[in-house]
Amino acid sequence: MDYTKQIQEIAAKLFAEDKIDAFVGYRMTGFDKNQVPAIITGADDVSKLVFNDKSVFNLSNYLKHEHTRNKRVGLVVKGCDSRSLNLLLTESQVKREKLYVVGIACDGVVDDEGKKMQNCVECMFPDAVVADEMVGNHGRSGSETLIQTGSETLIQTGSETPIYKINADVLDLGSKDLVQRREYFEEVFENCIRCNACRHSCPLCYCAKCCIDQETSTLYNGANTTSSAFHALMTWSLHLAGRCVDCRNCEKACPSHLPLHLLHKQNEQVIYENFQEHLAGVHEGDRGAFYKYSMKDPDDFIM
Amino acid sequence: METVTNQLVSIEKPEIVAPPNWEPVIMGILCNWCSYAGSDLTGTSRIQYPPNIRIIRVPCSSRVDPWFLIKSLQTTADGVLVSGCHPGDCHYISGNYYARRRFLVTKKLLNFIGYHENRIQFSWVSAAEGPKFAKVVAKVTEDIKKLGPLHLYKKENFEK
Repeated sequence: MDYTKQIQEIAAKLFAEDKIDAFVGYRMTGFDKNQVPAIITGADDVSKLVFNDKSVFNLSNYLKHEHTRNKRVGLVVKGCDSRSLNLLLTESQVKREKLYVVGIACDGVVDDEGKKMQNCVECMFPDAVVADEMVGNHGRSGSETLIQTGSETLIQTGSETPIYKINADVLDLGSKDLVQRREYFEEVFENCIRCNACRHSCPLCYCAKCCIDQETSTLYNGANTTSSAFHALMTWSLHLAGRCVDCRNCEKACPSHLPLHLLHKQNEQVIYENFQEHLAGVHEGDRGAFYKYSMKDPDDFIM
Repeated sequence: METVTNQLVSIEKPEIVAPPNWEPVIMGILCNWCSYAGSDLTGTSRIQYPPNIRIIRVPCSSRVDPWFLIKSLQTTADGVLVSGCHPGDCHYISGNYYARRRFLVTKKLLNFIGYHENRIQFSWVSAAEGPKFAKVVAKVTEDIKKLGPLHLYKKENFEK
């Protein structure tokens, strides 16, 4: 999967036609083979853009940035990124008419060791669900590399209905007993240094003021303690329940390499099993499981 | 005289032992229109219920953010009881339906990270159900007494 040339062409074309003020893509770091997100504000820098297997970050996070906020922006999105973009659009955080979305038919990205990432192996929507222009081909059309598709046709042409697979880590941990699970997560919370990188890297955490920062409400909440990590991570994951798109930006950003996906996948599984909700951000206008209800929701746990 | 010999230990962390005559602290979050009025009726009807519960009044059960439950468990409470109107009786038409989904996910997540799911309990109590409220509080108190104290790193908090 190497779409560097196509993306450079599209960006150059958009700058030439004066359709955008900034283009959000990836560039090489300069000192190793990894990539970092790049916000390009002129046609001169277009040659720096790259896109291949190592383009791991979710770029919809960068719509909060000062160079992109309230400006006309071109944006590269993979399948997972497009779902979080869809949620941002639904939650009125970005305006669709100011965006030019370059969707990727993604084949999955790799981690630092060159192994395909676990969320890409399990991915159910590798193609961008929101796009003005598609790059890449998954056999949905005859043309070789560049397909012009809108969001609706793309979902409809998706061959079979995806079947939800329970995450293996969640299943494995769920089969252990209470004390073992508590020990496992106590270690997770102990290793958290409360740097809040997970929150900053999350495209769906856009609140100007976050409730977990209310340090004065109890004396030790902002401190780097196990207790505050419990409070912060649990609150964070519950506020993302039904919205998390499993892009794993949080895990990539975490300096302690905590298994943050476990919390999100557990919530996702509960929501899927009990409310029969589809995954977040797939359909435009769908705000997630916590913004609707059904009379058939289980209530046998309520006295 | 009967003496209590078996000590209460925390079900999640068996090395935590409850002090003698330990009583659990339960946070009760009640909806203004049904459960709070119901608890009031319990009082005016002179029905006894355990004094372990500390009641907070909220406008509706859907006002209860999962954050409140996490926060109460982190700071003082050994358990939380959230109570609202019966399905269909919500003062705001559908608030308790939204709340029901959040409660289930919160309960399952807490269980997943290794805390007994009875630490968080929910009930529907209407304004006319004074005796039911007393029963609910008695049951929750009994459940949480069985689970023992919630350690949740409190010791660490107080030492620093």
